[in-house]
Amino acid sequence: MHIASGFLSPPAWVTMAAVSGAALAGSLAAARRQLDDRKVPLMGVMGAFVFAAQMVNFPILSGFLTGLPIGTSGHLGGGFLLGVLLGPALGIVAMASVLVIQALVFQDGGVEALGANIFVMGVLPGLLGGAVRRLWLKPSWLSYTVTFTGAAAGVLAGATLVILLLKWSATLPQNVSLLHALGLMDSIHLLIGLVEGAITVAVVRFVREARREAVFGAALPASPVEIKV
Amino acid sequence: MNAYNRNTLIVGIAVALLIGGIVSYFASGDPDGFEKTQEALGADQPVHVSVEPPPSLFEGYSLKGLGEGFWSNAVAGAVGSLLVLGVLLVVARILKRRPSRQDPKKV
Repeated sequence: MHIASGFLSPPAWVTMAAVSGAALAGSLAAARRQLDDRKVPLMGVMGAFVFAAQMVNFPILSGFLTGLPIGTSGHLGGGFLLGVLLGPALGIVAMASVLVIQALVFQDGGVEALGANIFVMGVLPGLLGGAVRRLWLKPSWLSYTVTFTGAAAGVLAGATLVILLLKWSATLPQNVSLLHALGLMDSIHLLIGLVEGAITVAVVRFVREARREAVFGAALPASPVEIKV
Repeated sequence: MNAYNRNTLIVGIAVALLIGGIVSYFASGDPDGFEKTQEALGADQPVHVSVEPPPSLFEGYSLKGLGEGFWSNAVAGAVGSLLVLGVLLVVARILKRRPSRQDPKKV
Protein backbone atom coordinates (compact mmCIF):
# COMPACT_ATOMS: atom_id res chain seq x y z
CA MET A 1 0.00 0.00 0.00
CA HIS A 2 3.05 2.26 -0.34
CA ILE A 3 2.25 5.60 -1.91
CA ALA A 4 4.86 6.22 -4.58
CA SER A 5 6.60 9.47 -5.45
CA GLY A 6 4.57 12.18 -7.14
CA PHE A 7 1.09 11.19 -5.99
CA LEU A 8 0.68 13.53 -3.03
CA SER A 9 0.38 17.30 -3.25
CA PRO A 10 2.70 19.34 -1.01
CA PRO A 11 -0.09 20.25 1.48
CA ALA A 12 -1.01 16.58 1.82
CA TRP A 13 2.47 15.20 2.29
CA VAL A 14 3.64 18.03 4.53
CA THR A 15 0.62 17.49 6.77
CA MET A 16 1.21 13.74 6.96
CA ALA A 17 4.92 14.25 7.56
CA ALA A 18 4.09 16.56 10.48
CA VAL A 19 1.58 14.11 11.98
CA SER A 20 3.88 11.10 11.61
CA GLY A 21 6.87 13.13 12.78
CA ALA A 22 5.03 14.02 15.98
CA ALA A 23 3.89 10.42 16.48
CA LEU A 24 7.42 9.16 15.91
CA ALA A 25 8.90 11.68 18.33
CA GLY A 26 6.41 10.60 20.99
CA SER A 27 7.12 6.95 20.26
CA LEU A 28 10.88 7.44 20.56
CA ALA A 29 10.43 9.17 23.92
CA ALA A 30 8.24 6.33 25.18
CA ALA A 31 10.57 3.74 23.67
CA ARG A 32 13.39 5.01 25.84
CA ARG A 33 11.41 3.99 28.93
CA GLN A 34 10.08 0.73 27.48
CA LEU A 35 13.21 -0.76 25.95
CA ASP A 36 14.51 -3.38 28.31
CA ASP A 37 17.22 -5.92 27.73
CA ARG A 38 14.92 -8.51 26.14
CA LYS A 39 12.84 -6.06 24.08
CA VAL A 40 15.78 -4.78 22.03
CA PRO A 41 16.51 -7.99 20.10
CA LEU A 42 12.79 -8.75 19.80
CA MET A 43 12.14 -5.34 18.24
CA GLY A 44 15.07 -5.84 15.87
CA VAL A 45 14.03 -9.24 14.59
CA MET A 46 10.34 -8.33 14.38
CA GLY A 47 11.26 -5.36 12.21
CA ALA A 48 13.39 -7.63 10.01
CA PHE A 49 10.52 -10.12 9.83
CA VAL A 50 8.04 -7.46 8.70
CA PHE A 51 10.47 -6.23 6.04
CA ALA A 52 10.92 -9.80 4.75
CA ALA A 53 7.20 -10.61 4.92
CA GLN A 54 6.35 -7.48 2.95
CA MET A 55 8.35 -8.92 0.04
CA VAL A 56 6.00 -11.89 -0.17
CA ASN A 57 3.08 -10.85 -2.34
CA PHE A 58 0.28 -13.37 -2.25
CA PRO A 59 -2.34 -13.57 -5.01
CA ILE A 60 -5.78 -12.60 -3.74
CA LEU A 61 -9.16 -13.94 -4.75
CA SER A 62 -10.59 -11.62 -7.28
CA GLY A 63 -12.38 -11.37 -10.56
CA PHE A 64 -14.89 -14.15 -10.75
CA LEU A 65 -16.18 -13.71 -7.22
CA THR A 66 -16.29 -10.01 -6.79
CA GLY A 67 -15.93 -8.24 -10.09
CA LEU A 68 -12.62 -6.85 -8.89
CA PRO A 69 -9.72 -6.53 -11.33
CA ILE A 70 -8.06 -9.90 -11.88
CA GLY A 71 -4.36 -10.26 -11.25
CA THR A 72 -4.08 -8.49 -7.95
CA SER A 73 -1.77 -9.35 -5.09
CA GLY A 74 -1.36 -8.23 -1.51
CA HIS A 75 1.24 -8.45 1.19
CA LEU A 76 1.40 -8.19 4.94
CA GLY A 77 1.43 -4.68 6.36
CA GLY A 78 2.64 -5.73 9.77
CA GLY A 79 1.93 -2.54 11.72
CA PHE A 80 -0.82 -4.14 13.79
CA LEU A 81 1.36 -7.17 14.47
CA LEU A 82 4.18 -4.97 15.76
CA GLY A 83 1.70 -2.95 17.85
CA VAL A 84 0.50 -6.09 19.63
CA LEU A 85 3.90 -7.68 20.20
CA LEU A 86 5.96 -4.58 20.99
CA GLY A 87 3.34 -2.05 22.10
CA PRO A 88 2.43 1.00 20.00
CA ALA A 89 5.59 3.02 20.70
CA LEU A 90 8.18 0.37 19.82
CA GLY A 91 5.90 -0.91 17.07
CA ILE A 92 5.76 2.51 15.42
CA VAL A 93 9.54 2.93 15.72
CA ALA A 94 10.12 -0.48 14.11
CA MET A 95 7.61 0.12 11.34
CA ALA A 96 9.03 3.56 10.57
CA SER A 97 12.50 2.00 10.23
CA VAL A 98 11.16 -0.58 7.77
CA LEU A 99 9.44 2.10 5.67
CA VAL A 100 12.43 4.47 5.67
CA ILE A 101 14.75 1.69 4.48
CA GLN A 102 12.22 0.62 1.84
CA ALA A 103 11.97 4.16 0.52
CA LEU A 104 15.69 5.05 0.61
CA VAL A 105 17.35 1.74 -0.24
CA PHE A 106 14.72 -0.12 -2.27
CA GLN A 107 12.92 2.87 -3.77
CA ASP A 108 9.60 1.40 -2.63
CA GLY A 109 7.32 4.25 -1.59
CA GLY A 110 8.06 7.90 -2.31
CA VAL A 111 10.51 9.84 -0.17
CA GLU A 112 8.12 12.78 0.25
CA ALA A 113 5.29 10.28 0.89
CA LEU A 114 7.14 8.75 3.85
CA GLY A 115 5.05 10.60 6.41
CA ALA A 116 1.83 9.37 4.83
CA ASN A 117 3.16 5.82 4.49
CA ILE A 118 4.40 5.77 8.08
CA PHE A 119 0.99 6.93 9.26
CA VAL A 120 -1.00 4.49 7.12
CA MET A 121 1.14 1.39 7.75
CA GLY A 122 2.75 2.26 11.08
CA VAL A 123 1.01 4.77 13.33
CA LEU A 124 -2.60 3.84 12.57
CA PRO A 125 -2.33 0.03 12.77
CA GLY A 126 0.32 0.30 15.49
CA LEU A 127 -2.07 2.17 17.78
CA LEU A 128 -4.87 -0.28 17.00
CA GLY A 129 -2.60 -3.24 17.69
CA GLY A 130 -1.36 -1.65 20.90
CA ALA A 131 -4.98 -1.29 22.03
CA VAL A 132 -5.56 -5.06 21.94
CA ARG A 133 -2.18 -5.97 23.40
CA ARG A 134 -3.51 -6.60 26.90
CA LEU A 135 -5.82 -9.33 25.59
CA TRP A 136 -2.71 -11.43 24.93
CA LEU A 137 -1.69 -11.56 28.58
CA LYS A 138 -4.12 -14.47 28.72
CA PRO A 139 -4.80 -15.61 25.15
CA SER A 140 -8.33 -16.77 24.45
CA TRP A 141 -10.74 -16.92 21.56
CA LEU A 142 -11.55 -13.31 22.34
CA SER A 143 -7.89 -12.34 21.73
CA TYR A 144 -7.87 -14.23 18.44
CA THR A 145 -11.16 -12.78 17.22
CA VAL A 146 -10.42 -9.20 18.21
CA THR A 147 -6.89 -9.36 16.78
CA PHE A 148 -8.06 -10.85 13.49
CA THR A 149 -10.83 -8.26 13.12
CA GLY A 150 -8.64 -5.40 14.30
CA ALA A 151 -5.79 -6.16 11.90
CA ALA A 152 -8.24 -6.39 9.00
CA ALA A 153 -9.92 -3.15 10.09
CA GLY A 154 -6.52 -1.49 10.25
CA VAL A 155 -5.84 -2.41 6.62
CA LEU A 156 -9.25 -1.08 5.58
CA ALA A 157 -8.80 2.16 7.50
CA GLY A 158 -5.37 2.64 5.91
CA ALA A 159 -6.72 1.91 2.42
CA THR A 160 -9.51 4.44 2.96
CA LEU A 161 -7.07 7.08 4.13
CA VAL A 162 -4.82 6.51 1.11
CA ILE A 163 -7.72 7.19 -1.26
CA LEU A 164 -8.72 10.29 0.73
CA LEU A 165 -5.13 11.55 0.48
CA LEU A 166 -5.15 11.00 -3.29
CA LYS A 167 -8.46 12.88 -3.47
CA TRP A 168 -7.03 15.74 -1.41
CA SER A 169 -4.01 15.80 -3.71
CA ALA A 170 -6.26 15.91 -6.81
CA THR A 171 -4.47 12.79 -8.06
CA LEU A 172 -7.74 10.97 -8.75
CA PRO A 173 -9.06 11.76 -12.24
CA GLN A 174 -11.97 14.23 -12.32
CA ASN A 175 -14.42 11.69 -13.71
CA VAL A 176 -13.81 9.17 -10.91
CA SER A 177 -16.19 9.58 -7.99
CA LEU A 178 -14.75 9.31 -4.51
CA LEU A 179 -17.29 6.63 -3.67
CA HIS A 180 -16.25 4.48 -6.62
CA ALA A 181 -12.58 4.83 -5.73
CA LEU A 182 -13.22 3.94 -2.10
CA GLY A 183 -15.42 1.00 -3.09
CA LEU A 184 -12.74 -0.49 -5.32
CA MET A 185 -9.82 0.16 -2.95
CA ASP A 186 -11.70 -1.12 0.10
CA SER A 187 -13.11 -4.26 -1.48
CA ILE A 188 -9.65 -5.33 -2.62
CA HIS A 189 -8.23 -4.46 0.78
CA LEU A 190 -10.98 -6.32 2.59
CA LEU A 191 -9.57 -9.49 1.03
CA ILE A 192 -6.01 -8.46 1.80
CA GLY A 193 -7.15 -7.55 5.33
CA LEU A 194 -8.48 -11.06 5.95
CA VAL A 195 -5.04 -12.47 5.15
CA GLU A 196 -3.41 -9.78 7.31
CA GLY A 197 -5.72 -10.81 10.17
CA ALA A 198 -4.92 -14.50 9.82
CA ILE A 199 -1.14 -13.98 9.60
CA THR A 200 -1.25 -11.53 12.50
CA VAL A 201 -3.06 -13.97 14.81
CA ALA A 202 -0.73 -16.83 13.86
CA VAL A 203 2.48 -14.83 14.34
CA VAL A 204 1.34 -13.18 17.57
CA ARG A 205 0.38 -16.58 18.98
CA PHE A 206 3.72 -18.07 18.06
CA VAL A 207 5.92 -15.21 19.30
CA ARG A 208 3.84 -14.77 22.45
CA GLU A 209 4.40 -18.45 23.28
CA ALA A 210 8.07 -18.53 22.29
CA ARG A 211 9.10 -15.14 23.75
CA ARG A 212 6.58 -14.35 26.47
CA GLU A 213 9.10 -12.58 28.72
CA ALA A 214 10.36 -10.38 25.90
CA VAL A 215 6.83 -9.57 24.74
CA PHE A 216 5.34 -8.75 28.12
CA GLY A 217 8.32 -8.24 30.42
CA ALA A 218 7.23 -5.73 33.01
CA ALA A 219 3.53 -6.37 32.46
CA LEU A 220 3.82 -9.93 33.74
CA PRO A 221 2.76 -10.71 37.28
CA ALA A 222 5.68 -10.65 39.71
CA SER A 223 5.74 -14.39 40.19
CA PRO A 224 5.67 -16.55 37.07
CA VAL A 225 4.16 -19.34 39.14
CA GLU A 226 0.41 -19.14 39.46
CA ILE A 227 -0.76 -19.86 42.97
CA LYS A 228 -3.81 -22.07 42.85
CA VAL A 229 -6.07 -22.19 45.85
CA MET B 1 24.62 -11.26 25.74
CA ASN B 2 22.61 -13.94 27.49
CA ALA B 3 21.30 -17.12 25.85
CA TYR B 4 17.72 -15.85 25.77
CA ASN B 5 18.56 -12.78 23.70
CA ARG B 6 21.02 -14.67 21.55
CA ASN B 7 18.33 -17.20 20.66
CA THR B 8 15.83 -14.43 19.91
CA LEU B 9 18.33 -13.02 17.43
CA ILE B 10 19.37 -16.32 15.86
CA VAL B 11 15.85 -17.64 15.31
CA GLY B 12 14.54 -14.23 14.25
CA ILE B 13 17.33 -13.68 11.72
CA ALA B 14 16.92 -17.24 10.36
CA VAL B 15 13.19 -16.74 9.83
CA ALA B 16 13.63 -13.30 8.24
CA LEU B 17 16.35 -14.59 5.88
CA LEU B 18 14.22 -17.59 4.95
CA ILE B 19 11.19 -15.45 4.14
CA GLY B 20 12.94 -12.41 2.67
CA GLY B 21 15.69 -14.32 0.89
CA ILE B 22 13.95 -17.46 -0.32
CA VAL B 23 10.15 -17.49 0.06
CA SER B 24 9.87 -14.01 -1.46
CA TYR B 25 11.27 -15.37 -4.74
CA PHE B 26 8.01 -17.27 -5.17
CA ALA B 27 5.87 -14.21 -4.45
CA SER B 28 3.15 -13.13 -6.86
CA GLY B 29 4.40 -10.68 -9.47
CA ASP B 30 0.98 -9.10 -9.85
CA PRO B 31 0.55 -5.47 -8.78
CA ASP B 32 -0.62 -5.07 -5.20
CA GLY B 33 -4.10 -3.91 -4.26
CA PHE B 34 -3.23 -0.23 -4.26
CA GLU B 35 -1.32 -0.33 -7.56
CA LYS B 36 -4.18 -2.26 -9.13
CA THR B 37 -6.71 0.28 -7.84
CA GLN B 38 -4.64 3.12 -9.25
CA GLU B 39 -4.49 1.39 -12.64
CA ALA B 40 -8.23 0.73 -12.67
CA LEU B 41 -9.02 4.33 -11.75
CA GLY B 42 -6.49 5.84 -14.14
CA ALA B 43 -4.66 7.37 -11.21
CA ASP B 44 -1.33 5.65 -11.82
CA GLN B 45 0.65 8.57 -13.24
CA PRO B 46 2.57 10.80 -10.84
CA VAL B 47 1.31 14.36 -11.21
CA HIS B 48 3.15 16.18 -8.44
CA VAL B 49 6.74 17.22 -7.99
CA SER B 50 8.56 14.39 -6.28
CA VAL B 51 11.65 14.07 -4.14
CA GLU B 52 14.13 11.73 -5.79
CA PRO B 53 15.47 8.93 -3.62
CA PRO B 54 19.25 8.55 -3.48
CA PRO B 55 20.76 6.21 -6.08
CA SER B 56 20.67 2.66 -4.78
CA LEU B 57 22.09 -0.74 -5.57
CA PHE B 58 18.84 -2.42 -4.60
CA GLU B 59 16.15 -0.58 -6.51
CA GLY B 60 13.01 -2.71 -6.80
CA TYR B 61 14.26 -5.47 -4.47
CA SER B 62 16.94 -6.77 -6.79
CA LEU B 63 20.68 -6.28 -6.82
CA LYS B 64 21.79 -4.00 -9.60
CA GLY B 65 23.70 -5.92 -12.26
CA LEU B 66 22.37 -9.28 -11.16
CA GLY B 67 19.08 -9.08 -13.07
CA GLU B 68 15.83 -10.34 -11.60
CA GLY B 69 16.71 -13.91 -10.73
CA PHE B 70 16.76 -15.90 -7.52
CA TRP B 71 20.11 -14.65 -6.22
CA SER B 72 19.36 -11.03 -6.95
CA ASN B 73 16.15 -11.28 -4.94
CA ALA B 74 17.86 -13.28 -2.20
CA VAL B 75 20.63 -10.71 -1.74
CA ALA B 76 18.11 -7.85 -1.67
CA GLY B 77 15.91 -9.65 0.85
CA ALA B 78 18.83 -10.57 3.08
CA VAL B 79 20.40 -7.10 2.95
CA GLY B 80 17.08 -5.38 3.64
CA SER B 81 16.19 -7.62 6.59
CA LEU B 82 19.62 -7.28 8.17
CA LEU B 83 19.62 -3.54 7.53
CA VAL B 84 16.31 -3.13 9.39
CA LEU B 85 17.65 -5.23 12.25
CA GLY B 86 20.88 -3.24 12.36
CA VAL B 87 19.15 0.14 12.27
CA LEU B 88 16.79 -0.88 15.08
CA LEU B 89 19.63 -2.17 17.26
CA VAL B 90 21.52 1.10 16.75
CA VAL B 91 18.40 3.17 17.48
CA ALA B 92 17.81 1.14 20.66
CA ARG B 93 21.41 1.62 21.74
CA ILE B 94 21.23 5.38 21.23
CA LEU B 95 17.91 5.63 23.06
CA LYS B 96 19.20 3.66 26.01
CA ARG B 97 22.52 5.45 26.23
CA ARG B 98 21.08 8.89 26.84
CA PRO B 99 19.29 8.67 30.17
CA SER B 100 15.64 9.63 30.18
CA ARG B 101 14.77 12.77 32.10
CA GLN B 102 11.96 10.91 33.77
CA ASP B 103 14.31 8.28 35.09
CA PRO B 104 15.77 9.54 38.37
CA LYS B 105 18.08 6.55 38.80
CA LYS B 106 20.43 7.59 36.04
CA VAL B 107 21.83 11.07 36.07
